[in-house]
Amino acid sequence: MPNAILDPTGATRLQKKAAAPRAPRRASLAGARVGLLINTKQNARPFLEEVGRILKDEHGVASVTERTKLNFAVPESDEVIKELAATSDVVITGVGDCGSCSAAAAADGVVLESVGVPVAVIVTESFTATASAMAELRGSPGYKYATTAHPVAVLTGEQVKARAATVIDDVIKLVTESAE
Amino acid sequence: MTEAADSATRAGAAPELDPALPLDPDMAQAAIEHCYEQGWSDGLPLVPATQPLVDRFLATTSRDPDEIIGSLEQVGRDCTVYLAAVNAAMAGCKPEYFPVVLAAFDALMRERAARGGGFQSTSGPAPLIVVNGPVRKELGFNTAGGAFGPGFRPNMTIPRAIGLIVRNAFGIVPHVLEQATQGVPGRWSICIAENEEESPWGPLAEDAGAPGGVSAVSVTLTRTMEFVDNRHTPNHEDVLRDLADSIGRLGPQIFPQTPVALVLSPEHAQMFANAGMSKAGVQNWLIEHSGRTAGDLRRAGKGEVLKWAGALGGPTRDAESVPDDEFHRVLSNPAQIPIVVAGAKNAAISMVVRIFGEWSGVATPVAEKK
Repeated sequence: MPNAILDPTGATRLQKKAAAPRAPRRASLAGARVGLLINTKQNARPFLEEVGRILKDEHGVASVTERTKLNFAVPESDEVIKELAATSDVVITGVGDCGSCSAAAAADGVVLESVGVPVAVIVTESFTATASAMAELRGSPGYKYATTAHPVAVLTGEQVKARAATVIDDVIKLVTESAE
Repeated sequence: MTEAADSATRAGAAPELDPALPLDPDMAQAAIEHCYEQGWSDGLPLVPATQPLVDRFLATTSRDPDEIIGSLEQVGRDCTVYLAAVNAAMAGCKPEYFPVVLAAFDALMRERAARGGGFQSTSGPAPLIVVNGPVRKELGFNTAGGAFGPGFRPNMTIPRAIGLIVRNAFGIVPHVLEQATQGVPGRWSICIAENEEESPWGPLAEDAGAPGGVSAVSVTLTRTMEFVDNRHTPNHEDVLRDLADSIGRLGPQIFPQTPVALVLSPEHAQMFANAGMSKAGVQNWLIEHSGRTAGDLRRAGKGEVLKWAGALGGPTRDAESVPDDEFHRVLSNPAQIPIVVAGAKNAAISMVVRIFGEWSGVATPVAEKK
């Protein structure tokens, strides 16, 4: 028998990731404490702040708090996840507009869901492949998130607000029972 | 049997293979196609790795095959000594290159940018691997002309091994978790051996903490490189001004500092040394003179870069309050401008290599088997 050709991926060593549970959805956003996890990419802050403002002014959200990612390129630490989960009924994070930060946003979403917080992850349309791949790696194949056109970084202040308004319906669908 | 097959050498064959048997190129081709079909290849043919071949790699190191030598936490993947050996074999390395592969990978994984999402980045950065010490000659690295390749097996296959590890062991595959917009030409093929023999100064590895005379590898990530061709002047300060112009270029500026590695041709390095300059002297001159004015940045729509008063993450200021004629330096300390001497002493051409993030400034010695 000839020698076998060896596998360079270590696939035999990889343990299949346990399925990550998805958080229960809320009936509505009325009275919800919304946490914004801002990834520091250009225009992410005004984009998410506008989403938060609309949800508060028009959809009965009780409060909006902000948290800034320390490093947009990697998933958040357990401590930050715990703190967010303790202080938020719903989390909105983004804007994923690069390779590492879109994957990291999806990973943050999946981890927060597994501790019971419904999340709306927002990435630009250019990065769906990497966001979906990361969600699958984290045990949540087919994880749903919101998308917006690319790019976001070069939009003016007014354009960012207008763009943020276009994702509101998707964000609400993602975190409430209407998504089921 | 054809004449070509008759004259084929068996030098690369596994020692246990019966020397009486002819080489079987048809079977070799099928094995190569098999590797493509598994999705393991970077696009070029792979050497199909077998246990006897990988055992020859593992025999060059004292490290346990199961030792984890790098992890990418964000994707939950690890690389072991064994997996590194399989990928190095597939990349076309000789077994005796393996200690250099391990040193290069250790050095790479020391870089914050490599651990923190660099392989997934739209920037598509490439490792710049610099080899110093006796191992250059022992393994047959190119230390002379054509420093950035191709043409020399260790220089080409060692960085390729690193690329295959990232692809296969870490699972960072283009268009999926790897999102390079354009990437760097020559990604996974940039490995230079310093021309220590014609350098007027000490090797990079010594600047990076390795003991003198020891073989060591230094690695950083790079976004690209650009040449400075200046064989026009006997005045070393003219050449420094030319280098500073390229270093300070607007295109790469996105943060307050824009580190570069300077790969000097022996001719430029000797010109500086003959003018009495040390490496530190060259570095300090370039720190002082490399940059653009605030007005230049604004005209390129990059006035935002002026908001940092110093380093990234440090204090910020009102970018609009900075006067147009204020000179914005892109470098602030010698660690941001490592100097390597490489290439032939046949023309005064040097390279400005753009560092992605920051270089850790630490060289990794090539371990000898205990």
